[in-house]
Amino acid sequence: MRVRFWGVRGSIPCPGRQTVKYGGNTACIELRFAGSDRLIIIDAGSGIRELGNFMMAHDLPRGPIRTSIYLSHTHWDHIMGFPFFTPIYLPSTILQVFGPVNHEADTLETVVGGQMAYRYFPVREAELAATITYTSLKEGRFDLGDGISLTTRYLNHPLLCLGYRFEYQGKVFCTAFDIEPYKNLFCTDPDDPSYDEAMAAEGEFAALEQNAELERFVSGADLLVYDAQYTLKEYELSRAGWGHTPMEEAIAVAKRNSVRRMALFHHDPMRTDNQLDDLAKIYCQPGGDDNLEIFFAQEGVEIAL
Amino acid sequence: MPSLSTTASKVLEVCNSPRTSANDLNRVISLDPVLTGNVLKLINSAYYSSYNQNSSLARAIIMLGLNTVKNLALSTAVIGAFGKKSSFTTLPMDAFWVHSIGVGVTAKAIATARNVLSTEREEYFVAGMLHDLGKIPLNTCFSENYGQALQLAELEQNSLLNAEQLLVGVDHGVAGRLIGEKWHLGPVIIEAIAHHHAPEQAPDEHRDLVATVALANLYANINKIGSAGDPPPESAFLMRVLEIVGLKWDDLQPLQAIVNSEIDKAQVFLNLTEREMK
Repeated sequence: MRVRFWGVRGSIPCPGRQTVKYGGNTACIELRFAGSDRLIIIDAGSGIRELGNFMMAHDLPRGPIRTSIYLSHTHWDHIMGFPFFTPIYLPSTILQVFGPVNHEADTLETVVGGQMAYRYFPVREAELAATITYTSLKEGRFDLGDGISLTTRYLNHPLLCLGYRFEYQGKVFCTAFDIEPYKNLFCTDPDDPSYDEAMAAEGEFAALEQNAELERFVSGADLLVYDAQYTLKEYELSRAGWGHTPMEEAIAVAKRNSVRRMALFHHDPMRTDNQLDDLAKIYCQPGGDDNLEIFFAQEGVEIAL
Repeated sequence: MPSLSTTASKVLEVCNSPRTSANDLNRVISLDPVLTGNVLKLINSAYYSSYNQNSSLARAIIMLGLNTVKNLALSTAVIGAFGKKSSFTTLPMDAFWVHSIGVGVTAKAIATARNVLSTEREEYFVAGMLHDLGKIPLNTCFSENYGQALQLAELEQNSLLNAEQLLVGVDHGVAGRLIGEKWHLGPVIIEAIAHHHAPEQAPDEHRDLVATVALANLYANINKIGSAGDPPPESAFLMRVLEIVGLKWDDLQPLQAIVNSEIDKAQVFLNLTEREMK
């Protein structure tokens, strides 16, 4: 597999002089498979615009574009690039869009295509020339053909959100964003008037169980792309419950689960290149006992597994 | 399906607050059978399509997160808050709510008295709370026929199930099973809904819980803890259920104080006055 990052930011695009090195586009990852012409895209953040342009220059000359987009979830920073993904305007393009939808009754097509209405954008979703199908995804294991298998798992985020684990020719590529560690949300202080022993115990058990299952999901990945929007200090100060992971915790998950390479992903829009370089000096030093290579994801970087 | 307006105002208060605690959220939802069913439906259909069904609210809140559960509760409660009180005239809603809570609390108290593992007791509460779920659509969708069925059962002091079949064409066990299956409430809860009037028909692995819910239902009916339209039970049926559960009627008497106190606590939490409950 070959993985290329087209957008690595969380929340909102943040172009500017301080984000030139790591990039300012929101989530988009390209995934290709050796010996096959399959192309899978994970998330349609603002980075998908550049990927679309690249595909127009390099894929289209070889024939009509056929691709699939797997959305981690439908928060705005993960779908905002979709209207600017040029291949959707070509009649020859065949595009499948997969992703989770929340408990509200709207379909994936309405949620993603809803941003292409006249009040927001000059072209309506119904007017797109490409053949596009939308399929809502749940947790499960899927055979994608050509020897590619996919396992999906729900992540802890304020919206239904999926992590993806692709396996191909003995290699594993796994994504887990946007995610926050599961926590016992119930009161655990016996002196608090709302304390309930059974609730506290069940909450503790459920959080431990879900964190253990999540770790099994990422275990043994050759490349794991993991939410690391905050530092532990930032997280503990005011960001708990926002659905993201402190980078220290992300690294600990990878270390506990025999991950070979880890891309810290979904950088906070406030994080400058200099700050990321400084953090890399602390967290991305080679030579640990565990052979784990850690880096901050960077737009344009390509990794072969 | 509408939420019960008995609980709606508290749901709105708890869920509209940005500072809602998980404990309050769990509590307010656990006091409304439709909301409880809806949250379990959400988690079981989203997370476990065909295996590992979840019947714990606390677990659902950890997995789905506070916001998702709050939004779901709000949307369900808002539906219930608009004029649904009139549609519940056939089966008085507040009495139905007290009955549902009473059966849930009693089932859990019986489970505790029988030393069921503490981690499994919530399932007894949820099953008891939801056992009459099937009556809600019968009552709201076919209110005229349902009113006649309730009258017939009372006049003849005979099974409400028979009267429902005769006058509505479907009984609350069957209707409840359909909802339970559609909502993915899991086999234990579905069996309790479908067979609390005939626990011997429940599969072996769930018979104990179903019979406990059946006994809790009989206990609530005999002691007039709320009302869900069932006439007083036949003593032969009570004996059969006691036998399955392995208890004597006298064993249940110490539960009365616990059950009354739990219902009182729920009413205080929901800010319901005694006058409102009558």
